[in-house]
Amino acid sequence: MTTETATTGASLAGAPVRRGPRPALRGRPLGARRLRRLLAWVFVTPLLVVNLLVVTGPGLASVYYSFTDWDGLNAPGFVGLANYAEMLRSDAVGTALVHNVLWTLFFLVVPMTMGLVGAFLLSRLRRNQAFFRVLYFVPYVLATVVSAAVWRQLLDPDGGVAAALSTLGLPFLDPLADVNFLGNPSLALGSVAFVNTWQWWGFLLVIFLASMQSVDPALYEAVRLDGAGPVREFWHITLPMIRPTLVFLGLMTIIWSFLVFDYVYVLTQGGPAGSTDVLSTVLYREAFQNQRHGYASAVAMLLSVISAATVLGYLALRRRLRWDV
Amino acid sequence: MRITKRALVPLGLVAAASVALAGCVSSGGSDDAGGTVTYWGAFYAPTTEEAFQEIFVDGFNAENDTQVDMEVKELTTLGQLTDTAVAAGESPDIVYADGPSAASDFARADRTVDLGGYAEEYGWQDAFLPWAYELSTIDGSMRSVPASYGSMVLYYNAAVFEEHGWTPPTTLEEFEQVAQEADDAGMVPLGGGNAGYQGMSEWLITAVFNAAVGPEKIHDVLTGEAEFTDPEFVAAIELVESWIDKGWLAGGAESYFTTDDTANVTGLANGTTAMYLSGTWSFNSLTEVFEDPEQWAWAPLPSLSDDVEPGVFPLAIGTQLSVSADAEDPDAAAAFLDYVAGDVDRALEYTARTGENPPPLQMSADQFPDEVDERTVDLYSQIPETTNVGYATWTFFPPKTDSYLITEFDKVVTGDSTAQEYLAGMQDTFDKEFDAGTTLVPFSPQSEG
Repeated sequence: MTTETATTGASLAGAPVRRGPRPALRGRPLGARRLRRLLAWVFVTPLLVVNLLVVTGPGLASVYYSFTDWDGLNAPGFVGLANYAEMLRSDAVGTALVHNVLWTLFFLVVPMTMGLVGAFLLSRLRRNQAFFRVLYFVPYVLATVVSAAVWRQLLDPDGGVAAALSTLGLPFLDPLADVNFLGNPSLALGSVAFVNTWQWWGFLLVIFLASMQSVDPALYEAVRLDGAGPVREFWHITLPMIRPTLVFLGLMTIIWSFLVFDYVYVLTQGGPAGSTDVLSTVLYREAFQNQRHGYASAVAMLLSVISAATVLGYLALRRRLRWDV
Repeated sequence: MRITKRALVPLGLVAAASVALAGCVSSGGSDDAGGTVTYWGAFYAPTTEEAFQEIFVDGFNAENDTQVDMEVKELTTLGQLTDTAVAAGESPDIVYADGPSAASDFARADRTVDLGGYAEEYGWQDAFLPWAYELSTIDGSMRSVPASYGSMVLYYNAAVFEEHGWTPPTTLEEFEQVAQEADDAGMVPLGGGNAGYQGMSEWLITAVFNAAVGPEKIHDVLTGEAEFTDPEFVAAIELVESWIDKGWLAGGAESYFTTDDTANVTGLANGTTAMYLSGTWSFNSLTEVFEDPEQWAWAPLPSLSDDVEPGVFPLAIGTQLSVSADAEDPDAAAAFLDYVAGDVDRALEYTARTGENPPPLQMSADQFPDEVDERTVDLYSQIPETTNVGYATWTFFPPKTDSYLITEFDKVVTGDSTAQEYLAGMQDTFDKEFDAGTTLVPFSPQSEG
């Protein structure tokens, strides 16, 4: 059987319809096509295996463990939905979930706005743009532990920025002497979010800037000819044209905000008294301090469900609004 | 469903790659064959690591065919690293635990070997202090070896105390008088806090429970004959609340969460903190931080209630070592345990070089080398002679109760929990562990030292 007959069928009308390989492969020997297909699998197989071993496998294991009382040492015992029931009743999980929601709203608004506005202003610079791009991006490449340690010193109530400002002799700065950013339960979550924003917004700026630079300049020229100023340029040209990037980063911001762990753990470990606890710090504490891996797996499932719901909601919106992203 | 050859090709590739990767993973651990004992160490300073390597690892390797391979880990996370490795069946041959409770959990899950035979071979029952030996056994058989022990004490700066005419307090009245005068002098009366390491809270609670409630009552709770909700415990926590309200502890509630151990030790050294309740592991850090190392001093805990005799020493084991059930050469691993913890002279040589706490071995003051700091000799001479000894929470409390005690104390500091609420939760957590039979049997009070 030749390649032609093997890959060619017939339509209902009887006319031949090509369903096989693309024309570029036409006439090539069978071995070459198989080799090409084999090569594709060779390239993709390591990724599949890694995914299977470190993502899919542990993920499925977590689903199983969430229905058990596994303590990491002894054989897990099936407890049905007990972990989920306890989780739904838990004040710690409820508080952490609220903090995650607040964190998400903060990061959807503050760093995104800073990144967008910063990128727009930077895009209008004719000189030194690269310098500022690097300057704003540098915090992103610093190790979290390093930048968190630096900020812990800067926010220290005795030797930090607030204490230094309060000694300047300006009456309106005097109250700063009593401010303990990470020790005050009312300020701690916002302070950690601020530190994370310091690191994060430069990344958003660079991504938004790259996206803005791909916008056709003719569009800006056209709108300027119509008499539009910078604000209208931004609103009517920039924003619609970078919408795919904006929506994607918004989606990822939501997912990342529910997975946030590093800055919270390094700066406050979820304290004082749970005032900066997020779901991942609760999960970590239950798994690695209290040795309740089964219960921690149930909290992990909650995180997964939230992330999945975010993605599905995004897909639904994209379909309904006919977004091209 | 029909499986075609085409479908089998990628499946075969995935399977082959999986097997290859799995082989890579397992081959990493199989190199230990041929007489190697793996050990994870964690140290306060590079000089401590160097001393351990020379005295214990190199010393053992020079005398034995089996070689110890030490891998250095981060001190504050060694416990969690080990827990995870044990859970995954990938622990080193020598299994670290930060106290007898954690070690007993490993033993009950059969992740570590029974050391009963080795205990007889090396004479560990006679070598270790009775209370430490008992804590290392399960159903009468030794399952782990205590590698260091110490106590909670009250630290102060001798020069500062002399300047203010203070003497180390022995009663609550004296303690509060010094604290008030320190407060009036603009000092932080009592160091404390949990920044960077939430577990610091249990140092304070251990000191207060033992000094205000007393060893006998704690023993009764641990044996199920009393409860944490009894008035003595409530009064002890309320006493701490009063220190927080007055701004005595760490300078106040908010400062508590942003003050770490280093800040407290530094505060003592520069005279901004009057007293600090901490463990004897701080001996070496105090020596390093104080400009004049002769100026730091320790005193036994004062009595914080009329019912407790002054000078109680809450006994604590900070390092408990076992042999992994997966160890390829458990005999050699046990021999290394004996080399590290079973020989007084070698252990004290390490203490002399590093200031680290020695194992709870039967020893007398004249066995300490001259190089050992006299404050260390003083401590380890006093403890065996006294019967006023108590219980460190991380050594005698079961793990979940201990974890609750640490994490929920934050709410006491912020005022979100009352003493009664905090202790009721502690009792509830303890009850579950007590009923499950996972609690340790503490020694009888007034009988050991």
